[in-house]
Amino acid sequence: MKTTAENLITELIERTKQAINECETLNQKPLTDLNKKTNETSWSALECLEHLNLYGDFYLPEIAKRINESSWEPEANFKGGFLGNYFTNSMLPKADLKKMKTFKDKNPNGSKLDKNTIERFLNQQKEMLTLLNQARGISLNKTKTAISISKLIKLKLGDTFRFVIAHNERHLVQAKKAIN
Amino acid sequence: MNTIEKLLQTIETENLWDKTITLSRNEYLKVKGSIDTNLYFIVNGALRIFIDDEFEEHTIRFGYENNIIAALDSYLTNKPSDFYMQALKKTEVNVISKARFTKLVESSEDSRQAWITILEDLVCQQMERERDILISSPVERYNRVLKRSPQLFQEIPNKYIASYLRMTPETLSRIKKS
Repeated sequence: MKTTAENLITELIERTKQAINECETLNQKPLTDLNKKTNETSWSALECLEHLNLYGDFYLPEIAKRINESSWEPEANFKGGFLGNYFTNSMLPKADLKKMKTFKDKNPNGSKLDKNTIERFLNQQKEMLTLLNQARGISLNKTKTAISISKLIKLKLGDTFRFVIAHNERHLVQAKKAIN
Repeated sequence: MNTIEKLLQTIETENLWDKTITLSRNEYLKVKGSIDTNLYFIVNGALRIFIDDEFEEHTIRFGYENNIIAALDSYLTNKPSDFYMQALKKTEVNVISKARFTKLVESSEDSRQAWITILEDLVCQQMERERDILISSPVERYNRVLKRSPQLFQEIPNKYIASYLRMTPETLSRIKKS
């Protein structure tokens, strides 16, 4: 994956807008639909969003901190790293959503959830837009962030954005399915 | 027909709209940080333009049916703009790109004049708006806006009017009753 830094940021902003719009659509649905589950282990729409919120709670402050501390000058191009490409591709929602394992601390199953969950998600996406915009001022290749699943790995900031946004898209697809 | 209406008619007859976008209530046409050099014509519905800081949103302008709306900073500079544009109800907008619009404006003296008129109107509106914001009395801010655009109170939910008037929804409802 190779592109200009500006193209990457522009594309990710546009995809974040899509996520916000899909969430606004969910926000119009009644709470009973949003809490609907097909079986005990599957997630309701709100549980999908809460799962994303739990990830956001980790990634947004982490990204913000790394952007603040970064003194790497912005570059014209961005090149996805090997692991960045791998994680992002594994997240992207394909035609058929394969089940993936969730880490225990990110499993929202059974939480008491209401429309605040949606508000929280929307606020996190606005924070994401702020961070994407700030990231124009630094290197997306050389700035690195920690990731939630392993202490041993660091990803390029550009890859972390790609991964988190793809992860959002994956579970928004799942959330839309859950209410139908 | 005034020059602006003529300009719009030309876009219509020469089929210059790039596309039509339909937004549901609360959906976004544009978000913070994007570069958006399109002009939008609101076929029906209503939009608001706002910015957010860490603590709250500040509503800057509204767009109604038959208005032209844009992130004008982005349009003029081709740079990212921190404006959000959000539909307040089901809204349909026609889109024309900067490239096509510029070509049209440069194609005739009438079109050029229409564009200047649009920008002149906008400057005057912005000056009114600047005064609004500087006036410290909430009642006076309310009265000025009510007189200038009564339409606002018919089409826009109170919480956004309050944000536009830089007051809490509670204060607005108190002033409306008195």
